[in-house]
Amino acid sequence: MKAARLLFIDDETGLLDLYEAAFSREGYQVCRAATLEEARRLLAAGDIDLVVLDIRLAEESGLTLLHEIKSRTPALPVVLSTAYARYQDDFSSWLADAYVVKSSDLSELKRTVRACLEPRR
Amino acid sequence: MPLTEGQEPRVRYPGRCRRRGGRRGGAGARSLASAQLVAAVHRITQALERVVDPDTAAWAALVGLTAGQGLGFNRAFILRVHGDRLEGWLGVGPRTREEGAALWHELRENGVNPLSTLERPDPAVVAAEQRRLAPLLEALSCPLDEACSRCHRPLVARRGHPLAPVRRWLALLGSDNLAVIPVVGAGELWGVVLADNFINHRPILPPVLDAASTLVQSLRTAVERFELLRRLSEEERRRITAEHAAAMLETARTLAHDLKNPLAIAGGLASEVAAAVGESGGDVSRQLAAIVDSIRQTETRLAELVANLASRATGTPPQAVDVSAVVERVLASFRPLAARRGIRLEVENRLAGELAAAVPSYLERCLENLVGNAVEAIERAQAAEGCVRLALSADHTTVRVDVVDNGPPLPPAMQTDPFSGGNTTRESGGGLGLASVRRLVDAMEGRVEYDEPVAGWVRFSILLRRWV
Repeated sequence: MKAARLLFIDDETGLLDLYEAAFSREGYQVCRAATLEEARRLLAAGDIDLVVLDIRLAEESGLTLLHEIKSRTPALPVVLSTAYARYQDDFSSWLADAYVVKSSDLSELKRTVRACLEPRR
Repeated sequence: MPLTEGQEPRVRYPGRCRRRGGRRGGAGARSLASAQLVAAVHRITQALERVVDPDTAAWAALVGLTAGQGLGFNRAFILRVHGDRLEGWLGVGPRTREEGAALWHELRENGVNPLSTLERPDPAVVAAEQRRLAPLLEALSCPLDEACSRCHRPLVARRGHPLAPVRRWLALLGSDNLAVIPVVGAGELWGVVLADNFINHRPILPPVLDAASTLVQSLRTAVERFELLRRLSEEERRRITAEHAAAMLETARTLAHDLKNPLAIAGGLASEVAAAVGESGGDVSRQLAAIVDSIRQTETRLAELVANLASRATGTPPQAVDVSAVVERVLASFRPLAARRGIRLEVENRLAGELAAAVPSYLERCLENLVGNAVEAIERAQAAEGCVRLALSADHTTVRVDVVDNGPPLPPAMQTDPFSGGNTTRESGGGLGLASVRRLVDAMEGRVEYDEPVAGWVRFSILLRRWV
């Protein structure tokens, strides 16, 4: 079975390094983007199975990209990842398939990614 | 404190004197008396414009009515409408002839001119007077029946008056001539002032009744001004609170972002290294586990700190709110104003018992702002058949309140983001009303929208999370 291709979008390259290390070890293909422009380019190329998106990016809100993804490819699962739990109350964030608060413990993020990919398998 | 001396009336009017010239010497004296009445009303209404709270205003009006150099009544009382009752509020003057004689004597002995303390009464004197009159004010209170609430003209009542509450007041006060002066605001009865001359039996002449009515309407205007100022200052306080809350939330977000990210990276990478090394790593494994554990504890403490900060900032959390009830409350408060300005207020309610996640006082404030803006816009445009319609609807996630009106559209400069603040359609004002709506709706975790659904109509919408 082809490994699922995950796109991590975060302006912290340290976190991208961590995601890459942790999720590659889990058997996923990992793509990474530190800017929305880079993310849009990777998404346009297609073949992404799931997006893990940080809300608070340096240039603009990740919620902007969430709206774009859900209007163009509603079936593509998006997991919002943020340091600040109360973003979950934001109307715009309700479009996401799941919501995870950033932590050094990646087990919740791993569980969420598995659960979001499950229906597609 | 009685304020009328038991002396001959100082006010006489043309046509009322029984003999030519009157007792005080004819037209010169009459014009002097009229001029004195006008001067008294002028002085008292000016004082009412300067006083700083409703109780002082009411006191000033009563002193003006009863002072010898004012309108000269022996005593006067104010009753205010509270729900479906007229409640005694304040009074000035004696209860009996004996009390009157004693109090007037005291005034003369001490050389007191009551009008000199109109704007700054001695609180101890006011309190003592109200304690003395409290039982009488309580007895004068009565249910507000329909006939009474329709009574909008001042009158001098005598025994056998057709209205039952008036007959009761005459009996309670032992009065044979009682000035009953309704206080009317926005077409509705706001209160009643009662005044009589039960000691010196001076007749209550039409000009005195008119002067009393003028003075009493000034009191109502003063009280309405206080209420408006109170609401404005309350709105300002809420605005500052909302801005403070927004700043605290931003601090919480920044704190979370700037500290949690590095912690997550350090702890996560340490976990990865620990997993790679495995348990066979000996001391290194144990040290890595200790690092990971320490970082996770720090993350937990930071999360608690941020949550605490955020909950303090947002204050009242949203609760289940019956939006229909809030809308009804707001519309009820605007109906008199809208009726006076010939503007229709309509509700289109398609909610079937759905509740919204909201803070009742915030939602009320937002709707007051939007409906108030709509009424004002229609009036400013002098639109014929002005209409403000509130439409309530819900879907499976959202409860929506639309405030739609047929006033003029927003100017193009405001249409992009009317809620940003700093823009206004008013001749004065900073456009903070709509910005305040957005802040309050943000605090309820909802959102606001503006559009023009059909030509000639503008729509402001509040969208709130449906309470499940």
